[in-house]
Amino acid sequence: MSSWQFAACLMLGGSTVLLFIGMPVALTFISINIVGAWLYMGGEPGMVQLVRSSVSSVMAFSLTPIPLFVLMGEILFHTGLAFKVIEGVERLIMRVPGRLAVVAVVAGTVFSAISGSTIATTAMLGSLMLPVMLARGYHPTIATGPIMAIGAVDMLIPPSALTVLLGSLSGISISKLLIGGVVPGLLLSICFVAWIIIRVRISPHLAPNETDLIEHKGWDRWQPFFAYVLPTLSIFAVVVGALAAGWATPTECAALGAFATMVLAACYKVLKWDAVLKSLKGTAGISGMILFIILGATTFAQILSFSGASTGLVQFITGQGLSTSWIVVGMMLLLIFLGIFVDQVSMMMITLPIFMPIVTALGIDPIWFGVMFLICMQLGLLLPPHGLLLMTMRGVAPPSVTMTHIFLAVGPYVVMSLILLTAVFFMPGIATWLPGWIG
Amino acid sequence: MINKLSEAYGRFISALALLGCLMLLFMMLLIVSDVALRNFAISGGPQGIGWSNEVSEFILYAVTLCVAPWLLRQGQHIRVDIILQALPKRVAWGFEWVGDLLGLACCLVISYYGVQATWASYSANSLNIKTLVTPEWWSLVPLPLVFSLLSIEMLFRMHRLWLAERGPRNDAVSAA
Repeated sequence: MSSWQFAACLMLGGSTVLLFIGMPVALTFISINIVGAWLYMGGEPGMVQLVRSSVSSVMAFSLTPIPLFVLMGEILFHTGLAFKVIEGVERLIMRVPGRLAVVAVVAGTVFSAISGSTIATTAMLGSLMLPVMLARGYHPTIATGPIMAIGAVDMLIPPSALTVLLGSLSGISISKLLIGGVVPGLLLSICFVAWIIIRVRISPHLAPNETDLIEHKGWDRWQPFFAYVLPTLSIFAVVVGALAAGWATPTECAALGAFATMVLAACYKVLKWDAVLKSLKGTAGISGMILFIILGATTFAQILSFSGASTGLVQFITGQGLSTSWIVVGMMLLLIFLGIFVDQVSMMMITLPIFMPIVTALGIDPIWFGVMFLICMQLGLLLPPHGLLLMTMRGVAPPSVTMTHIFLAVGPYVVMSLILLTAVFFMPGIATWLPGWIG
Repeated sequence: MINKLSEAYGRFISALALLGCLMLLFMMLLIVSDVALRNFAISGGPQGIGWSNEVSEFILYAVTLCVAPWLLRQGQHIRVDIILQALPKRVAWGFEWVGDLLGLACCLVISYYGVQATWASYSANSLNIKTLVTPEWWSLVPLPLVFSLLSIEMLFRMHRLWLAERGPRNDAVSAA
């Protein structure tokens, strides 16, 4: 075994073993880094360098949108503003087969545009809409599927904390990556709505007609839209507008978005100190954990490179005579496979140190690659048996909804996401057109 | 006795996490103020806050460290538990011990070399020269401090594992 092969086995194999014995992800990477730094960076000086690298890894301005994007979603959730948005959307959508499921997708898309956390979206829609749908006789599969699916789409539609992390770790332009997710995200939302309508037309028993529905007319119907949905969407305009126009960096846009969310909540008189504190605690929890992993994992990539493992692996893979397309297919299949077992942050940490040198060596469009990477991560949230959103749904659903219902419900949406991934692969413009157009 | 100590320590790391939350709020307000002053400058007033980026970077680092011990107490440092859940409970419990012992060793090593790096930087009078000029050890010193706190929490974590039912913990598994 050559030295780079040993280094690759030690670093990648060792981290995989530690991950699977249940060690916290951050400590897994730090443990492997300690061994790697000692072996490949010259013992004690390497250890001191490891400490310095760990400190500088999170002292990066490009990472500040992570907590700020999460904070936006948390504030909307804890102040109850998100629920008003759902009410506003619900009143607009009438006479559509599977109406409440469609409302869940549309409201989820709106919420995705103002929240950087998939859990917040799924938990909010699940706790609010699922009981209503079940009470009105919706089948559990048509009630739970759209909520989980649109929760996962949150990762594609900006703002998204994980997109910022992907951009930061991979060196892909964060703003282009954020904007690159818009078209695929909206395409998925449209496909979800079309699927619900077709499915309910074929099997009307899945979503009974709401005979007791009060149909609001005129201004009464539009009032919640103008009072809540439109002002809330203005936060999206602040974030993406300032980003696209180049008036502010992604970081500054995130701060503006979080501040705008607070101002909006204050205007509605729902910004109580208790809600702010809960939002801050939720944000500190999610982002602190992500950033602590970065603290360990950035050095992981450096040691992998220093030991020669990255170069060796890249030369090995590119020297197999495979075409660029097949290598990309292989990387995507590996990501989907990993998505079944490991969380999104670990997926990035394990694969990016190897994938990005390959992307650079083969001249692959990083935005195209990054958006496909995001779709694979989004799939990982939905894949049985351990998809996070399946578990989140299990947590908010009543006992009558079984795990089998949840697995069956998510199936069509996984297929649609796979079709989108294939479409982006063959038509890169889906991912690259908007970032290219905006410049 | 240990339970009382653990409770008191829990209150301390919760207070540290609360400090992290408040710093997060301050960071947001700082960046917004910088953007506002830059784009809507008052004549004669400051044209933005020059040190905003640098201080925000430090706050991000400080928040990460302030909440880390509290997250460990809450079981919120994500992990992959698919194998642990599939194994017999006693075996999974054994793996929890392996993970905890390795985690403790890892925290102690980083604390030790964190102190070394900080001391070396202090002795050499190393400076971070950006918009603000600050001694480098200011940014290094929180790391060994927090990893020492994490080491202590690891011990309490092991004590809780010893008292708990023989089986895997129910810690968080994702960050999305």
